[in-house]
Amino acid sequence: MDSPVPATLARAPARPQARAGEEACADTRQDAPAEAEPPPRRPAAFYSSVFAQIEEIGWKQLVSATGDGVSCLTFRVVDEPGRMHLLEITLPMGYPESPPSISADVPYLPKIHWSKNSRLKDVICQFQAHLKILQEFWNTMDEIDKVLWIVDPTKPSYAMSHRRIALGDDCYILLQVDARKPNSLPECRFLGTDGKLDQLIINWRKNRKKWDTKKKFHENLAAVLDFALPSPPSVGDKAKDDEQADCGICYAKHLPVDDELGAHSGCATDYMCENPSCSRAFHSVCLRDWLRSITTTRQSFDVLFGNCPYCSDPVAVKITGH
Amino acid sequence: MTSSSSPSRKALSKIACNRLQKELAEWQLSPPAGFKHKVSDNLQRWVIEVTGAAGTLYAGETYQLQVDFPEHYPMEAPQVIFLNPAPMHPHIYSNGHICLDILYDSWSPAMTVSSVCISILSMLSSSPAKQRPVDNDRYVRNCRNGRSPKETRWWFHDDTV
Repeated sequence: MDSPVPATLARAPARPQARAGEEACADTRQDAPAEAEPPPRRPAAFYSSVFAQIEEIGWKQLVSATGDGVSCLTFRVVDEPGRMHLLEITLPMGYPESPPSISADVPYLPKIHWSKNSRLKDVICQFQAHLKILQEFWNTMDEIDKVLWIVDPTKPSYAMSHRRIALGDDCYILLQVDARKPNSLPECRFLGTDGKLDQLIINWRKNRKKWDTKKKFHENLAAVLDFALPSPPSVGDKAKDDEQADCGICYAKHLPVDDELGAHSGCATDYMCENPSCSRAFHSVCLRDWLRSITTTRQSFDVLFGNCPYCSDPVAVKITGH
Repeated sequence: MTSSSSPSRKALSKIACNRLQKELAEWQLSPPAGFKHKVSDNLQRWVIEVTGAAGTLYAGETYQLQVDFPEHYPMEAPQVIFLNPAPMHPHIYSNGHICLDILYDSWSPAMTVSSVCISILSMLSSSPAKQRPVDNDRYVRNCRNGRSPKETRWWFHDDTV
């Protein structure tokens, strides 16, 4: 019964990376006696089989192994253009008769073809084929991000297929790109102040049949809206924006540029809750407006005292520009 | 009674508009379970379908919430009512007004449409019986002129439902 394990250990020292496997095996044996009611144990053949398959894939690609040592494996998979992905493979108790499940940061997961003779390398290969299929989607999203003024999300994940695009004058279009047919007409809705927005909606309804799946996405969008889409703001501004936290009240990094806000027009967040577990950022203008709108706020000279909307710890904000 | 007439609403401020756009984008990314936002271009009024949770008195039933946002949201709470027919619940009046403190005095800008929806579903799920509030008829009569639930002086006393 125990004989296969020593065989694996004997092979392991031959390669530096293999020590991770050895340690994992050792951890497993140590953990077993410590547990009062140990979970159902896997046969020793399971571990030697998994180690052999990891070796087949390459230990360098293994990022982590958790669970009962090796029931949840995370592999690094690089696609052809060089994007790095993490593929998490979970081995159920019934493995290999039961197929492993996978998760990854992709807009949709592939259906894994599995038989009890399949190997983990087959899962990796199927995922790589899936990544190849998704290249068209990611190329489309990358081009949108490069050419258009994306206000949300600021740091999109590979799974995200939505974009909020600024059209100027406080008008936005919220797009949902079909990950399976990325060059097809997207779902969209218009957000912002009326007036200019009405014309864009009319154009969209009138022109959307002209969407041409062979043309570039942003060219289609400009043609359908009959509108010159603004370019993204300069890289310098964006880099600076990324450092700023969103306000916990208005959800923006910067206040709108508005005469009513006076000196605070366009300001970044300038107040932070002092509770270290909270540390929520606010514009002092937003926090002041909130504190003024509730009855429990106390005032002393030119300072408003109240509670953080998130953690209820005390906050104090000066009344400036009174 | 037909659905409440909407209060005269001033247009959203820039801050309210920007925050709602972000809430909407977040909603579309991961909507709360049991809720479906009915798509429209009116950012100031959301109509949301809510389905009763499995294993509760309202399992499988569908109701509609109407959420209207004031000019200075989120400094002020949104107005949230059930459209007709309102669910039978000890804290929901037949005109759709909801007795729930976070919609009134306990509102905070830390809350979102999503968190409000989850609270309402939780309130439905913990209902012990399908019945109207004891003062339903008198309250609804007083609101006949289309009064907003935000004008009511609510008395919140029941933490179990």
